[in-house]
Amino acid sequence: MNARRVEAITQRLLHQFRRDRRTLALLFGAPLVILGLLGYLLRGGGDVPKMGAVNLDSGQLGSLVASTLEGSKTVSASSMSQADAETRLRSGDIAGYVLLPADFTAQVQQHRVVAPEVHLEGSQPGLSQSILQSVSQSFVSLASQAGGVQFTPRVSFLYGGPSFDTLDYFGAAFIGLVVFFLVFVITAVAFLRERGQGTLERLMASPLRRAEIVLGYMLGFTVLALVQSAEVLAFSLLVLHVHNVGNVALIFLLEALMAIAAVNLGIFLSMFARTEFQAVQFIPLVIVPQVLLAGIIFPISTEPGPLQWLSHVLPLTYAVEGLRNIMIKGADLTWSTLQLDVGVVLGFCVLVILAGAATLRRRIA
Amino acid sequence: MATETYAVDAEDVVKLFGKQRALDGVTLRVRRGEVYGLLGPNGAGKTTLIRSLVGLVAPEAGTVSVLGHRMPQLDVLAHVGYMTQQAALYPDLSAEENVHFFGAIYGRVDGVRDALELVDLWDRRKSVVASLSGGMRTRCSLACALVHKPDLLLLDEPTVGVDPQLRVQLWDRFRKMAAEGTTIVVSSHVMDEAERCDRLGLIRFGKLLAEGSVAEIKAKAGVDRLEEAFLKLSEVSPA
Repeated sequence: MNARRVEAITQRLLHQFRRDRRTLALLFGAPLVILGLLGYLLRGGGDVPKMGAVNLDSGQLGSLVASTLEGSKTVSASSMSQADAETRLRSGDIAGYVLLPADFTAQVQQHRVVAPEVHLEGSQPGLSQSILQSVSQSFVSLASQAGGVQFTPRVSFLYGGPSFDTLDYFGAAFIGLVVFFLVFVITAVAFLRERGQGTLERLMASPLRRAEIVLGYMLGFTVLALVQSAEVLAFSLLVLHVHNVGNVALIFLLEALMAIAAVNLGIFLSMFARTEFQAVQFIPLVIVPQVLLAGIIFPISTEPGPLQWLSHVLPLTYAVEGLRNIMIKGADLTWSTLQLDVGVVLGFCVLVILAGAATLRRRIA
Repeated sequence: MATETYAVDAEDVVKLFGKQRALDGVTLRVRRGEVYGLLGPNGAGKTTLIRSLVGLVAPEAGTVSVLGHRMPQLDVLAHVGYMTQQAALYPDLSAEENVHFFGAIYGRVDGVRDALELVDLWDRRKSVVASLSGGMRTRCSLACALVHKPDLLLLDEPTVGVDPQLRVQLWDRFRKMAAEGTTIVVSSHVMDEAERCDRLGLIRFGKLLAEGSVAEIKAKAGVDRLEEAFLKLSEVSPA
C-alpha cells in the first residue's frame, strides 16, 4: 500500500469531476431538489381527503357526530344528501361518506350500539384509512357525551373491497412504471453506445432517413418492451394476485403505449448526453420526480395545490391513473376518464417520437 | 454533363467551429475512377472535408456536389461508401453480421461475401467483433464501407494503427477497386501511402495548399522526396 499512489487516484477523480460540471451540479443539486420536493409534498399543507356526512337522524346525536366530523382536521367533511353523496362518490369527488340512519339517536339510547354505514370509494387504501379513522374518532367523542357505546361500522366499498391492500393499489401503477423506467434506461444507453462507437455517424452517412432510424429503434425495443410488459403483467396477476377487475388486453395496450413513449424519450434525451454516465443521470432528474408526483405513492388529491398542478402536466400521471381505472375500477374505453388517460399517453408518444426524430440529425452534425 | 466527369466537386467550402475555420475556402475536384489522397497533419481539416462530402457537416459557405448531385442528398449516399477513422462496428455482433447489417441498410446484402473476402475475413466471419484484433476490425470496417459496391469510397485515415504488411494489402485492394472504376478519396498523413495515389491534395489550416500528381508536387517544390515537398509547400503561415 503506497499512500501516494492512492492519493493520485483520489486526486485524479476529483479533477475529473471538476471538469464535469454537469455531474457536480447533479451530485449537489439533485438531493436538494428531491428532498425539497418530498418535504413540500408531505408537509406542504396539502388537502386532506374529502368525505361526506349524510345525516338522516331525527334525534340530536346525529348532528353531533356530523359536526364533530366537519370540525376534524384529518378529513374535510361536509354535510350532503344521500343522493348527492352517492353521485360524488362515483365521480371520485369524495373518498367516502358516512350515513347516519333515521333511528340513530334511538339506537344509541336504547341499545348502546352505533352501526353507521360507511361507504368508501376504495381505490386508494390511504384515503379509506383516514376516513375510517376520522369516523371512529367522531364516535369516541360521542361516547364521552352519551355514555359507553359499542361502535361497529358497516363498511362497503365501491371499488376494491376489504381485502384490497397496498400492493393492489401500488401494483397497478408499478406494472406501468417498471416497464417505463427500464425501457427508458436501456434505450438511452443503447443509443449512446451507437454514438460512442461511431456507428451512428456511419448510419447518418448512409441513405437512411432519420425517421427510419427512430422507427427501427422503436420497433426493436418495443418488441423487447412488450415481452417484458407481458411478463410483468402475468407475474403481477398470476403470482402476486394483484387486484384486477379490468380487461387484461386494455392493461397491455396502455403498457405498450408507455413502452413506446419510453423508447422515444430515451432516444430524445440521449441527444443531450455525451456519455452513458450522463444518460444514467437522467434518472434522478426525469424519473424520480415523476414517481413522487404521478400519484403512484401519494394520492394527487392530497398534494399541495401547486404540486397538483404539476402532477396534471406529467404524462406518467395519466398512465398510472389509466392503469388504476382499468384494474381497480374496471374501466373500459367507453369511460371518459380512461379516454383522457389513453389520449394523453398517446399524445405524449407522438410528441417524443417527433422530438426524437427532429433532434437526431442536428445533434450528429 | 460537365460536372459528371467529377465524382466530387466541392467549391469554396467554408466550415467554422466556433471561431476556428476548420475549412477555409477549399475547392476540391476528384475525377471519376481516380485515387485521390488528402494529405495533411492532424487537425488540418481532412476529416471535416470528408464529412462535408457525405452531408454530416453543413458548410457555412460553398457548394458540394457528389456524383453529379448537389449535397445534401440522401439518395446519392446509396452510391457512396464511408469509412470513419475509428472502426465503427457493433462489438457484440460477428464480422458477418456487421457487414450484413450495413449491406441491408444499402439494400445490397448480396455483396456481403465479396466484401468479407476482399478484406480476408471470410474465414473469421463468425467471430464476434469484440474478439477481433485491431487490424481485423479495421478490415471489417472497410468491408462495411464497400459492401454495397459504391461508386465513390471515402476513407478517413484507413491505415492508422495498421501494421505495414496489412497496409500494403489494403492498398493493393484500393488500387484494384479503382481499376474497376471506383473513385477513392483517402486521407492520410503517411507519405509512402501518398505515393500510391493518382493525385494528391495537401491540406493545412483548412486550406488546400497544393494539388497534383506525386511527380508534379515534387517538381513544384523542387525536391526529390515527397516528405520534403510537403514540408516546403506547407510553409505558409495561416492567413
